[in-house]
Amino acid sequence: MTNSAVAVAVDGLRVIRGGREVLRSVSFDVPRGSVTGLLGPSGCGKTTLMRAIVGVQIVAGGTVTVLGQPAGDPLLRDKIGYATQNAAVYADLTVTECLTYFASVLRVDDPAADARRVIADVDLTDHAGKLVGNLSGGQRGRASLAVALLGTPELLVLDEPTVGLDPVLRDDLWTLFHRIAERGTTLLVSSHVMDEAARCDRLLLMREGVLLADDTPEGLRAHTEQSDLEQAFLRLVRESEAAA
Amino acid sequence: MLTSIRAELIKQTRRPANWLLLAIAAVLTLTFAYAIPYAGLSSGPSGAPGSGRGLPSMLPEAFVGNALGGVPIFVGALALVFGVLVAGSEYGFQTWKTVLAQRPSRFTAYGSKLAVVAIANLIGVLTLFAAAAGGSAAVAALEGAPMNWPSAGDIVLGMGVGWLVMTMWGACGALLGIAFRSVALPIGLGLVWMLAIQNLLASIAAPALEFVGELQKVLPGPNTGALAAAMGAASETPGVDALVGSGHATIVVAGYLVAFCALGGWLMHRRDIL
Ligand SMILES: Nc1ncnc2c1ncn2[C@@H]1O[C@H](COP(=O)(O)OP(=O)(O)OP(=O)(O)O)[C@@H](O)[C@H]1O
Ligand SMILES: [Mg+2]
Repeated sequence: MTNSAVAVAVDGLRVIRGGREVLRSVSFDVPRGSVTGLLGPSGCGKTTLMRAIVGVQIVAGGTVTVLGQPAGDPLLRDKIGYATQNAAVYADLTVTECLTYFASVLRVDDPAADARRVIADVDLTDHAGKLVGNLSGGQRGRASLAVALLGTPELLVLDEPTVGLDPVLRDDLWTLFHRIAERGTTLLVSSHVMDEAARCDRLLLMREGVLLADDTPEGLRAHTEQSDLEQAFLRLVRESEAAA
Repeated sequence: MLTSIRAELIKQTRRPANWLLLAIAAVLTLTFAYAIPYAGLSSGPSGAPGSGRGLPSMLPEAFVGNALGGVPIFVGALALVFGVLVAGSEYGFQTWKTVLAQRPSRFTAYGSKLAVVAIANLIGVLTLFAAAAGGSAAVAALEGAPMNWPSAGDIVLGMGVGWLVMTMWGACGALLGIAFRSVALPIGLGLVWMLAIQNLLASIAAPALEFVGELQKVLPGPNTGALAAAMGAASETPGVDALVGSGHATIVVAGYLVAFCALGGWLMHRRDIL
């Protein structure tokens, strides 16, 4: 299973939440050093799949292998950065205090310097001294994203990191994601905005707990004969409905 | 573990709420142990609780008991609030998952919370003793009374007692914060228990029902009151009552401390917190 070209290998994953099967036999590989987009409508199971990869989700069947270890293995702890969909940062601390705290528990060499680096990465340097509780929604989301960037994670799992951000900031963040990937880090980024799909190296399209496609954006366009990824996704949905 | 404790400690020092709790504990202790009794001394008995106490109880010789007078009730309650904040706020900010999904093990994270509760209460008890010492010195200076201080052994023993009681309530708060995964409800319930139910049990139920009287001897509150009484806290202070011996009380309070810590750790370990 220790395939060094594969960062995440998911095989036949099934998850039951609230009595419903929200992931139904999902299988795919995420290549190392790539930016993989996880797309699909609200409630299709994106967050659940990410939780399974990070190792905080009870699974009903199948295997998830992350960086050669079973998901949730303690060895993976400081190798994965996970930004949850809701901001998860201390509202009563400043941005700098908050990130310095997380950098210290991560045991990076120079917590203060690492905090400064990630604050700059998410473009919050001008707000570094502000209380997190006084940030705007988008700024708070970026503060939360910055936590995942601390240290040197080999895998970044980012749950809708660009939601609620303006086009300029979204573009900046996607540029940042690719810069991080160039250093060999693997990124799995969820979104339900199709125009972000074009910026991914690979795409995983989900619907109602089932994987509809695992392809590159070009491959998807070619396969569905649609130049627009949104149309391509709709086409896949129709095909899967017709097949069912 | 040490890195986690340090990071947790620094984080807590950045929170204004914690300093507020400390300030309230010191101000209330000074008010009820010195300011009100001293005012009562010069203006004659006003009927306010504690106002009828004589000058000797306010002099440096008796400051250990005065520093501990509030520990069974309001200082303990503040320690409980602190414990709830330390553990429970992680749920409110949804930060447990940020801390735990990638970083320290649950054991380390919980252990550093407890360590911080213990360290913060040490700071708290030192502050109370400093405040009470200052208060008693001020009274002695104003009245031209001699400044005879208790022996160092008595002072350290008193600090140990205060620390044990406050840390026990702090651990209780942390347990409640974890059990209810929040801040507001555990603080509310903890205070209802400490300030209302405990007093009702002691003043109404215990005299009427014998088994409640027996029960009092194993409940945390009355045992902390007995410890404060053993250290010289004035017996008319609410919650201070030499119901049991100090040895018995020490064992019971330490037992609760261990039990609260263990139960909180078990809950942390067992439950899905995300
Ligand atoms: N705590 C929970 N208990 C029970 N069911 C849940 C829970 N959380 C999510 N679900 C269900 O699991 C399914 C997948 O949810 P999930 O959060 O993975 O969707 P998502 O693709 O991330 O959606 P969104 O884009 O809105 O974030 C949904 O049908 C949801 O109702
Ligand atoms: Mg989601």
